Amino acid sequence: MRIVVAIKQILDPEGITVNRRRERIFINREERIINPADKCTLEAALRLKDAHGAEVIALSLGKPAADDALREALAMGADSAVLISDKALAGMDAPTAAMVLARAIERLAPFDLVLAGQTAADTGGDQTAGRLAELLGLPQVLQALELSLDGGRLQVVRLWDGKPVRAAVSLPALVAVSPLAPPARYPHGARIMNAYRQMQVSVWTAQDLGLTPEELTPNIESRGQVFPPERELGTVVEGPPAQMAGEILSLLRMRRLI
Amino acid sequence: MDFTLPKEYELLRRMIRDFARQEIAPLAKRVDVQEEVPREVIRKAAELGMMGVPFPQEYGGMGAGELGYCILMEEIGKVCTSTATVIGAHTGIGAMAIYLDGTPEQKKKYLTPLARGEKIAAFALTEANAGSDAAAIRTRAVRDGDDFILTGSKMFITNGPIADIVSVMAVTDPSLGPRGGITAFIVEMDWKGCSVGKVEDKMGIRGSGTSELIFNEVRVPKENILGQFGAGFVTFMKTLDVGRVSLGAACLGGAQAALERSIQWAKARTQFGKAIVHNQSIQWMIANMATEIEALRSLVYRTAWMVDTGQPFTRYAAMCKLYGSEVASRCISQAVQIYGALGYSRDVEVERMFRDARIAEIFEGTNEIQRIVIASDIMRQEGVRISP
Repeated sequence: MRIVVAIKQILDPEGITVNRRRERIFINREERIINPADKCTLEAALRLKDAHGAEVIALSLGKPAADDALREALAMGADSAVLISDKALAGMDAPTAAMVLARAIERLAPFDLVLAGQTAADTGGDQTAGRLAELLGLPQVLQALELSLDGGRLQVVRLWDGKPVRAAVSLPALVAVSPLAPPARYPHGARIMNAYRQMQVSVWTAQDLGLTPEELTPNIESRGQVFPPERELGTVVEGPPAQMAGEILSLLRMRRLI
Repeated sequence: MDFTLPKEYELLRRMIRDFARQEIAPLAKRVDVQEEVPREVIRKAAELGMMGVPFPQEYGGMGAGELGYCILMEEIGKVCTSTATVIGAHTGIGAMAIYLDGTPEQKKKYLTPLARGEKIAAFALTEANAGSDAAAIRTRAVRDGDDFILTGSKMFITNGPIADIVSVMAVTDPSLGPRGGITAFIVEMDWKGCSVGKVEDKMGIRGSGTSELIFNEVRVPKENILGQFGAGFVTFMKTLDVGRVSLGAACLGGAQAALERSIQWAKARTQFGKAIVHNQSIQWMIANMATEIEALRSLVYRTAWMVDTGQPFTRYAAMCKLYGSEVASRCISQAVQIYGALGYSRDVEVERMFRDARIAEIFEGTNEIQRIVIASDIMRQEGVRISP
């Protein structure tokens, strides 16, 4: 079984403070980490590897510094690592990033499973997994908590409306793992040493992936950042459905919304 | 000059820091009260290679050298001195003696399970009448055919109650004294005649067991001679030299934790209508602590680099231990002062840290002995031989 895990390196959000009054974001501590959901994703892949045997390939699209994220993936137990890094890829929007990742995953074929983190903790982005599935023509399961192999099918426990439910999907497939999935293992110290001293991270450029400048032209133009207005706290309505419906109806009527 | 940590060590530090925060720190109070580091914690640490950081991977170690080991001791020293002491006595001196002077067979047989944390090591030098004066030991090893018969008792042995394998120093020829008359042995504690005596009721590091080890006519095969016959004193002194660097690193962790807690508390505590961090008296304490900690950090990591690059480091290792233990004691004492009456209460960590810190000025060679080591190394360069 070959599993491709897409991971993203982000600035640790714990080192960042948002000053709403001055409308500025301050970076107090510049520490780069693997996006938390992606770390859970690696763990999910490694659990499949432990249980059934698998080849886990970590893939990242980012700056040269993302090499560290891939070394960490190798230390955790990934078998190989690929970094897509190129100056031509700077400032990409989400659709382009997904397209580049999809191209790299196609180059890693054959594969049985593509895993990606559900959400990015820095931008709050939530698109990559869905876009990848579409581009690769794979069935997708989102918000996964646990994965297991049952014959040729993948059994997935996923979040549905905040509750875990079972789903099954035939392979090859794409699964997006929730940041609420089981936390990642600690990498073994000796593997940390070897990940830097002995193991390799392959680097692919835009040219290696046959990407043309037209393909890399972003559809979205960034014109700076604006702080959204502060929102009032919402009202939570609880109780049996019929009672909740009644309460919501009266709240809406009270505010003359209906 | 490049002071940046190699990338693998940055990741190693992050892994150990996460482990220390999540797996060790929440237990630190319980470890102190129940006077035991849970075996489960040691097992988890061992699974990540933390019981054999400086040893080569071929012997089950992490292969991270003295630098990696100092990182481990600093990070664990920040959260629980008892746990740091258990790992320190095991790795830094107990197993270290076998790593430094063991034969390939001894390393395969003993160092490998120790580095993997499957067995626990201790280092047995001190006796009732021999501590600083290490050459005054009375434990005897008498040749009997191909074996030696070991008799005597060792005192204040860290990890004594839990050790499986102990590096023991014994007199093999009383007429020769420390140069030629003392030999080191590897002893398995489940051998007939080995037993654990009185367990000490200590001021601090209460989670780390310290006890007497009794050897009553224990039959030790000659294959278990550690290093050269008659050169046990050299083996032990060499081992203690290395151990002092990582002890300094553990002290660095303790001092750093004291500083961080002091800052936190000084920001939170309000008196006379403002946070006490705005008082110059508190600022001076924090500035002094931070300065000494930074000096200690430079000393410890430079000495670790000297160890890893094969340079003579005896003097600097003694400085790590001497300065480290004093900086830790001073910083933690200041932290208690900043906390005020609360700092004297068992409800806060600085109280435990205060009790835990004191031993570092005493064990692994008292600070007075460290000064002798430093002075004699300096004087040797000046052509002066000094004897204690």
